[in-house]
Amino acid sequence: MAPPNNTAPADAAGSAEAVDTSFEQSGELVDAELAYRVQQFYFLEAELLDDGRYADWLDIFDDDLFYWAPLRTNRLRRQAALSIGAEGEAAYFDETRDSLAWRIRRYDSGMAWAEDPPSRTRHLISNITARWKSQNELLVRSAFLVYRNRLQTETDLYSGGRTDQVRITDDGGFRISRREILFDANVLQAKNLSTFF
Amino acid sequence: MSSDSSNTSPANQAIGTMRRPPLSRNIDVSTLVDADKGLIDRSIYTNEEIYGQEMRRIFARNWLFLAHTSQFQKPGDFFTTFMGEDPVLVAMDKQKNIRAYLNSCRHRGVRLCRADEGRTKMFTCTYHGWSFDLAGALQSVPNQDAYPEDFQKENWGLIEVPSLAVYKGLIFGSWDPDAEPLEETLGDMRYYMDAMLDRDPEGTEVVGGVMKWQLEGNWKLAAEQFATDWYHVNMSHASALMVLSPTGKGPKPEVVATPGRQYLSPKGHGAGFPTHPKSRFDAAPVHEYYDYDALRERLGDERVEGPLTTGHATVFPSFSYLPVNGSIRVWHPKGPDKMEVWAWILVDKSMPQEVKDAQRLYNLRTFGPSGIFEADDGENWSEVQAISHGFVTNSVPLNFQMGVGSEREDGVYPGTTSELYSDAAGRSFYRHWATQMNTPAWHETQHKTAEDQAESDQ
Ligand code: FES
Ligand SMILES: [Fe+2]
Repeated sequence: MAPPNNTAPADAAGSAEAVDTSFEQSGELVDAELAYRVQQFYFLEAELLDDGRYADWLDIFDDDLFYWAPLRTNRLRRQAALSIGAEGEAAYFDETRDSLAWRIRRYDSGMAWAEDPPSRTRHLISNITARWKSQNELLVRSAFLVYRNRLQTETDLYSGGRTDQVRITDDGGFRISRREILFDANVLQAKNLSTFF
Repeated sequence: MSSDSSNTSPANQAIGTMRRPPLSRNIDVSTLVDADKGLIDRSIYTNEEIYGQEMRRIFARNWLFLAHTSQFQKPGDFFTTFMGEDPVLVAMDKQKNIRAYLNSCRHRGVRLCRADEGRTKMFTCTYHGWSFDLAGALQSVPNQDAYPEDFQKENWGLIEVPSLAVYKGLIFGSWDPDAEPLEETLGDMRYYMDAMLDRDPEGTEVVGGVMKWQLEGNWKLAAEQFATDWYHVNMSHASALMVLSPTGKGPKPEVVATPGRQYLSPKGHGAGFPTHPKSRFDAAPVHEYYDYDALRERLGDERVEGPLTTGHATVFPSFSYLPVNGSIRVWHPKGPDKMEVWAWILVDKSMPQEVKDAQRLYNLRTFGPSGIFEADDGENWSEVQAISHGFVTNSVPLNFQMGVGSEREDGVYPGTTSELYSDAAGRSFYRHWATQMNTPAWHETQHKTAEDQAESDQ
């Protein structure tokens, strides 16, 4: 039996948490070498976003991507289970690879005024845990703090966590097939979400 | 220049001998809005006193959108929102009536319900434990014996929003106990609203979840734009239009000559829409779902070719909607420089689930905090506001002159209309705003206590 700190967190939301129980390492943290590669993958992703290389960023996702950021509501404690929006409800993001590509094309149009001149962003990624989900799939949780500075003094801070389903490709690389983003916000304290997370 | 403001409680209840001296003066705004010439003084977006006067004479007076009826299924279902800056609790009582209350405990005033929505039997205050039932009645008071004899629980129930009305699923409330009936206030605007609310005999419902975000910008910047501004679409939303267009190119120059109309209401509402014999919904599954012939039968040709799909609208003062994607939203004022947007996604009840989903996805990808159209609007509003406090900047009037004199009865669309590209509904929005700002509201003219009456009789 795996030690307690190696089991998948019980409080994480979403079907991404479903693990293949027939795979004996399911739920276990990956070893140091793989953990390092996963971490570098996430840091490189942050670099792509902060460099504004959105089209390259899109390549970290698989074709069947589900990219989702539910709303979060204040609920009475006894109804706390409803505090994270359900699939099929209004959301900050509810995207496929195509719809992300569509958003990215807009930035490349040269006429997306809300990002012209562009914002400066810094995606800080931490608290990465990578667990086995199946033979060639990982479940990776991470935390982010994204700082945006726009025009002269406009600043926004987006805090949140992500739960990713990550496929290990034949060449040992990674592809994300599902990303769930939980912003630590009720009323979003920013005028828009014009970067990605 | 100034007159006394209200000296009585908007709760319309004289409590003991409590009476307010004038705490704020009222500014005569008639020289800040020239609706005939189309000139607006920028101070109406920045001045603290004007903002305070808006709270008293606009938000404490008008019908304000609260929620959609589909958010209330069972007794005890509740939803918390704001009317102006006043927190409001909307709940379904035991008899299944939807009612609204000031969301502030009658004891020491703490916010009573802190959840955004949910279901409950009672609202119990976390401060000292007074608890109120779904009808707003004070049910229990810990240590009640210690209160004087004349303390009556009946006198300390929640302050109820006295006027509540539903128009085709949309719940509106007004603090004015003698508010003009909602349908009268809406007037001809109903014809335009029905192009969204009455496509389906079963009516509409909202998808779960309300998108909420804050941005710099006076609330009127957004309300006015949704009332009157088709003009900004090609420029502001050039990038979004480009990715939406099947060719991947930007809007063609001839789009500027798009035919269409803009409705303007004497009560400050506005709605604009291009007209086209083949007016269509943008989301493909939604377009395929609708039987346009049946819609023509139901709503008439002019509505199907006009306000049914693409267009914009505001119900005065702060409720706006977009028929093409079912975005219904409130611009909550948060001080002169800030607004909070609350946006719901509206769908027809009879739509199959996959069509509802398509409408929802199209909605949140175009409008809402990550919406590719919304971002450009927000950027414009915040960039108007960010520089508005410069003394010289603030003293230069803004231009609302497009289509001056174009207002007429067009013989097709009800009420007065103007061109699609026009500031006419903006001018009438501000004309009505100025009239209300210069007219004492119900709480300034009514409910004199017996004592007041005796005083004034002397
Ligand atoms: S403030 Fe609510 S019980 Fe005292
Ligand atoms: Fe717009």
